[in-house]
Amino acid sequence: MTKHTQAYVAALSPTQRRIAQLGVVFVPIVTQITDILRVGSLAFYYAFKKPIRWREVLQQSFFIGNRSLAFVMIVLGFLGMILIFQSGFQAKRIVGDLQGMGALYLQLLFREFAPTVTALMLATRVGTGIAAEIGSMVVTEQVDALRMNNAEPIQYLVVPRLLASIVMTFVLSCVALCVAFGTGMFVANTVFEVNVATFYNTSLLEWGDLIIFSLKALAYGITIPIIASQAGLAAFGGSEGVGTATTMAVVNASLAVTILDFVLSGVGYIFFFS
Amino acid sequence: MIRIAEVYKYRGHECVINGVNLVIPQGTQVGLIGPGGAGKSLLMKICAGLVRPDSGSVLIDGTEVVGIGDVEMTSVRSKIGMLFQNYALFDFMTVEENIGFPLRQLGGRTEEEIRDEVNRLLLAVDLPNTQKLFPNELSGGMKKRVTFARAVIANPPILFYDDPTAGLDPVTSGKIFALLEERRARGGTTSIVVSHDILGMRDICDSFVLMDHGRIVFSGTREQIEASTRPFVGQFWRGEADD
Repeated sequence: MTKHTQAYVAALSPTQRRIAQLGVVFVPIVTQITDILRVGSLAFYYAFKKPIRWREVLQQSFFIGNRSLAFVMIVLGFLGMILIFQSGFQAKRIVGDLQGMGALYLQLLFREFAPTVTALMLATRVGTGIAAEIGSMVVTEQVDALRMNNAEPIQYLVVPRLLASIVMTFVLSCVALCVAFGTGMFVANTVFEVNVATFYNTSLLEWGDLIIFSLKALAYGITIPIIASQAGLAAFGGSEGVGTATTMAVVNASLAVTILDFVLSGVGYIFFFS
Repeated sequence: MIRIAEVYKYRGHECVINGVNLVIPQGTQVGLIGPGGAGKSLLMKICAGLVRPDSGSVLIDGTEVVGIGDVEMTSVRSKIGMLFQNYALFDFMTVEENIGFPLRQLGGRTEEEIRDEVNRLLLAVDLPNTQKLFPNELSGGMKKRVTFARAVIANPPILFYDDPTAGLDPVTSGKIFALLEERRARGGTTSIVVSHDILGMRDICDSFVLMDHGRIVFSGTREQIEASTRPFVGQFWRGEADD
């Protein structure tokens, strides 16, 4: 707090001071949310406006999709094994019957784990990448150079990442679902001796599960690049500013994924599962 | 012509541009000099519409830059070429794509015409056969020359050079200043050069503006600045340290 601000705060009444303290906490949060919404709305506006840099969309798809594939597969593969191992032990102790485990597990993967855990992985891997790339372009004046040449940075930098992320988050969620189910099936078969044909049970799956899966993948695919791009575009200073932007991108994107998961699960419950 | 009137810019409670008034006549090259942190680059960015001042007015060829919308700013920026202090070359583009970028953005030319113009400029800045290189494959001096080529390719009537020789050796600095001088000699371009290199700037600018702590402390020709009896002006011009 500067000397000027300290003197200003000292002159306030206790009630005014409490309100001012609230402002210190909430004003930066509201400002950031407003900026994320601004970047998001502009990105959607430019996503429907020519020209779209399709070559860049393909490059970003490779970066988001192909380069994240191994990471997502390994994490979801191990998570699938751990989930079945732990839940199998509990189920065996309480119920003793593991016939329905595959059906329940598949439903859980569709509704929750496949899109959400994939998105959390992408928030760290892709979110940092986008924020660092755009952030370093800001601090090296490349974004100013774009503006000086009448190229809108959001159209030029954010839109290709947004389009690539929408497609690749969905694709990666599908891959993650298959991998997690496959590794889960392997553990169920080897540890609990559940037959593969018994484990592969789609009887509990409903259309609502597919819709919620797709909605979540779409929502995360939109949210992660927009939050990361906003963090990058707001970077200032030198390498320290880029570091702050990447940290901000991971924290905000992970928070957004978690909150969206809660909201969309609630929506799913109200419309499909209640 | 560029007309700056009563421009103020605050960072927190600190006034970083403090009531600047300046007129740069059409076709002149002005050297904007001053110690680090004086507000030179910031003032240039305000003129280019990249930073919005807290108050004041900036007229570029009669068009107000402060507070105008994106559409109006597009027509103003198409008149301006800018050489950035940190090169600002797009690292995902080749040299050819970087230099041709302003022409592609303006439209109205074929790819072949753009390529020819890029090749002509690359020869002019003494960088033949670098078309397919990426910025990370170039030295500092080469990057500056590519940035210069990108700034001038569309023949803008206004040019802003932000520290064109920062971090360069004296020989390369000399080459850059020669390019600036060549551009000035052609006439018709209004330009601002921000630099700490007083020696290099002496012969290529029509007049000089000295800034300190966000204010203009002196404005005049080379003869006037050399004849100034004000200690700060004399010390800065001659590069003398405080006693």
